[in-house]
Amino acid sequence: MIPQAPFLCFITDDALSPVALTEQALRGGAAMIQLRHKSASSNQLFSWAVEIRKLCRNYGATLIINDRADIALASQADGVHLGQQDLPAAAARKLLGKKYIIGVSASSPSEAVQAERDGADYIGFGHIFPTSSKEKAFLPLGPESLGQVASLVTLPIIAIGGIHAENAASLISLGASAVAVISAISRATNPLQTALELTEAIKRRVE
Amino acid sequence: MEHKKLQLTPLPRLYLISSGEEPFNLGTKLLEQLKRLPPALPCMVQIREKHLEARALFSLALQAQKIMLPEGTLLLLNERTDIAFAVGLQGVHLQENSLAPNRLRSFFPKLLFGKSVHSLAAARIAEETGADYLLFGPIFDTPSKRRYGSPQGLEKLGELCQKTSLPVFAIGGITPWNAASCRAEGAYGVAALSIFRDSTGLSETIEQFYRALYP
Repeated sequence: MIPQAPFLCFITDDALSPVALTEQALRGGAAMIQLRHKSASSNQLFSWAVEIRKLCRNYGATLIINDRADIALASQADGVHLGQQDLPAAAARKLLGKKYIIGVSASSPSEAVQAERDGADYIGFGHIFPTSSKEKAFLPLGPESLGQVASLVTLPIIAIGGIHAENAASLISLGASAVAVISAISRATNPLQTALELTEAIKRRVE
Repeated sequence: MEHKKLQLTPLPRLYLISSGEEPFNLGTKLLEQLKRLPPALPCMVQIREKHLEARALFSLALQAQKIMLPEGTLLLLNERTDIAFAVGLQGVHLQENSLAPNRLRSFFPKLLFGKSVHSLAAARIAEETGADYLLFGPIFDTPSKRRYGSPQGLEKLGELCQKTSLPVFAIGGITPWNAASCRAEGAYGVAALSIFRDSTGLSETIEQFYRALYP
């Protein structure tokens, strides 16, 4: 199940071991975890997924596996997240059926519309702000782009890219259902504290 | 989605592996070579293009799947069970440090699961965890594997083949001239890595392998 909006999504850091950081993020209120580790072997990825799935169940959080629908199935995760260079969403849907969540990355309104047509359950949209987590081929989309996308699709939108406790709330106001972070938590001096601040920032705005 | 039922007939004894040099844009050598496979000489064919992202791999595998291949040919994909299933291939080949077949089998009951192994211990684990066949090597000296140390040799191949009930394909430096010696050690078949790299004489090379493997 996609968590109730607004929520925080923590995406694991390619360069770090994911389990301990995930637990900090969950303690700090993250309601969705995306396990992403492009260089790990599938056996390693599976082991992490099983451990993190247990943690997620304990915290009532949702576990999404990046790219690998086969690992999502084998580890009984809740879904898969697909980039534009990953498996097409329609192919993943045939494999996973309706019970699994399929998220798709979009970095333009047209990609978001296409993702909705392809049967995605949510859209990861970004990068909104400049980010250090990944090499980027294009400039940040800016927070205003969220409003535009939100008017074009009905799916929940998870904003990503350069998000921290100071700018998170504004993105929810602009139509995002959630914010996703990688390095804001994984590279924080205190990951738990940072997650708590992010959660508080996005929840405060709805009260 | 249609899946060819796994043949109950024995697996082909010749196992071909793609060059690992397929381009991103599908202007591809592999597809041309698949079209030129000699009829009546079925092979196992593994698409192994680790540098391709999932979308490109999906497109490549889909194109390959649409080609009319010699009857009995089994098309497999390296590592990605989800993609192999999505495009309707016959199987998937897993590395030694990949997920165990029995973690995947129940979700993909019709797929053939192969596993690369480099030791007796790994072969035992692969068999216990549900592999359908093994790739074992490198048997002979091969430039691409030199950095991993000396080859396993025929003797280790023989020992491994005795200790597993699974079909074992010998890999690494295999030619039509040493293929028979692998069979003599108990290997079920042989895997040729570079055969697709040299597109000239593909049929001829396959015929030579066939003569060695099916005397």
